[in-house]
Amino acid sequence: MSTSFTPLTAPTEARLQDIGSAEILVGIPSYNNADTVGHVVQAVSVGLAKYFPGHRAVLVNSDGGSSDETTAIVARTTIDFQHFFIAEQQSILHRIVTPYHGIPGKGSAFRTIFEIARRLKTRACAVVDADLRSISPEWIELLLRPIMEEGYDYVAPYYLRHKYDGTITNSLAYPLTRALYGQQIRQPIGGEFGFSGELAVHYLDQHVWDSEVARFGIDIWMTTEAIASGARVCQSFLGAKIHNPKDPSADLSTMLVQVMGALFALMEQHEDLWSRQGTSQPVPLFGFPYEVGVEPVHVNVERMVSHYRHGLTDLGPIWQQILATDTVSRLRDLQGTAGTDCRIPDELWVQIVYDAATAYHKRIMPRDHLLKALTPLYLGRTASFVQATQGLTSKEAEQKIEALCRTFEHMKPYLVECWQPRALQPFTPALLHHTTVAAGGDHE
Amino acid sequence: MNDFISQALLNPLQLLGHQLLTVLPNVLAMGIILLGGLLTAWAFGFFVERLLRMIGFDHLCDRLGLNAALLRGGVKTDPSRLVGHSIYWTVIVLASITALGALNLAPINQFAHSLLAYVPHLVTATVILLAGYFLSNFTSRAVLIAAVNAGLTPARLIASCSRWGIQVLAGAMALEQLGIAQHIVVVGFGITWGGIVLAGAIAFGLGATDLAKGLLERRLVARPRSGTVDDLHHW
Repeated sequence: MSTSFTPLTAPTEARLQDIGSAEILVGIPSYNNADTVGHVVQAVSVGLAKYFPGHRAVLVNSDGGSSDETTAIVARTTIDFQHFFIAEQQSILHRIVTPYHGIPGKGSAFRTIFEIARRLKTRACAVVDADLRSISPEWIELLLRPIMEEGYDYVAPYYLRHKYDGTITNSLAYPLTRALYGQQIRQPIGGEFGFSGELAVHYLDQHVWDSEVARFGIDIWMTTEAIASGARVCQSFLGAKIHNPKDPSADLSTMLVQVMGALFALMEQHEDLWSRQGTSQPVPLFGFPYEVGVEPVHVNVERMVSHYRHGLTDLGPIWQQILATDTVSRLRDLQGTAGTDCRIPDELWVQIVYDAATAYHKRIMPRDHLLKALTPLYLGRTASFVQATQGLTSKEAEQKIEALCRTFEHMKPYLVECWQPRALQPFTPALLHHTTVAAGGDHE
Repeated sequence: MNDFISQALLNPLQLLGHQLLTVLPNVLAMGIILLGGLLTAWAFGFFVERLLRMIGFDHLCDRLGLNAALLRGGVKTDPSRLVGHSIYWTVIVLASITALGALNLAPINQFAHSLLAYVPHLVTATVILLAGYFLSNFTSRAVLIAAVNAGLTPARLIASCSRWGIQVLAGAMALEQLGIAQHIVVVGFGITWGGIVLAGAIAFGLGATDLAKGLLERRLVARPRSGTVDDLHHW
């Protein structure tokens, strides 16, 4: 196992010398989040003071060179604990505000946080996005307590979201991760996570920091790597997630390339694990689930269908290279559907994803081209989902997603067959420290 | 009269016959070299191809991603056959030049030397053409995907233009390397390319003023988007 150190700035090194060690670390990666970061720092500080008063804790802000007041706000935000019925703060919360080195992106920010966790020998860590508006002190408890007291290694978030919010998660990341690795983690690319200090060191020792993971594929990588390493995984119910609106001009295909690319690359890395994994198992959920009204999401189905049809006309030859003949002919049959109607049924979508994963693995064409060429297909599927769930409640829409997940699992033998003709070798997971785990650590 | 016939007809004929007799062995040697070259080329090509197949060269190329790269460039021949063919034609070219040299005639020797000196240019031009072909295929596909994802209706036209643009550029560079009508090619290419760029700029300026304005406004001034765009969060 590698023991290479991530470079830290001289002031950060000096600060680490002063602090010495800590039991808990909460990381906030940021980049120009002056509007919201103060609220996030307050929630973290109150959460630590209220739920972990006797523990030595550190708040780390890993910043990507913000040009606004982000870092200054993190450094100067003060909290009046009396307003939160905290009469006396038992332990001082140390703050480290540091820039990160390496490729610009959330992954590099996390790397610095992991390195600080290693130096401080922390027991439990959590990371939260700096653009959150709905974070409350309870999130800190929910992300850290399963690690501090229940012996878990990784805590994934569980949010309440609108049925049309997080469509990449619903149609791709969740069903595929669940079918491949057998863990029903509802938000594998959520953004907020809790993890043990040991797992942080494991993350740090992986040689991925010069790849796409260092940019924005970090969320799915952390979840998959936690499962693959044999870590004990659970979820915590955090309620609704409201964050600052993302840049509306952000390119969808770039976003899709990041998530799909990370998922497919991880499939190559953990082939021996997923190819032997059977049906999925529920993952323990902490917290108190409740219903809450979520902001409505307006969807322009016509635009998505038009995009999909454009792809079907112009990208047909490229799709023929990526997808199986049967998949393409079924897609062509759907072209006859009139108007804005678009139906890509679950089985066909699963077949598309599995064909694309196989084509990615076999390097049919440059991977960037392959992933980007799937954007119209994804939009077609999203339009199809929106049309199929119009008028349904969030719970009913969730049942549709569950049905899609079961289709992903049911059709997994198709993926295994297409993926690799060679005989598969017996697999031994690189367990962190748990050998047999009732809560999903066993992959066999 | 006899002297005349002897001087005017027989002597030249004798001289010709003598010269033919002198050259004949060289011609024969040329023929043998050509035949030998042909056989050697076939044998080398055949055996190299078989050998490569036996040692799993195609499989190795497949693992290295070379087969996929060839396929991406539209080349459907497998790498073993490709190497076999290359060796065959290389031996043929070398044998032809050697065969010409065997004639031992000053002009032909000079021609053979010129041909030999021309080979590097020929190789460079071939490499340029091949690189241009692969690059044009790669670029046109990238442009097509980007144009479709951007929702541009003439996506295929734009992709075709990028493909032909690169192939014409590669063709012009190859001709320049071969020394064929160098100035005409360079000037012609410059005029054509400059004309296309100028025409495009004028067409965009006159026909798409609003589009250009909107584009610059979106780039330089942050303002909310129109209501036609949905607020779907994909992540």
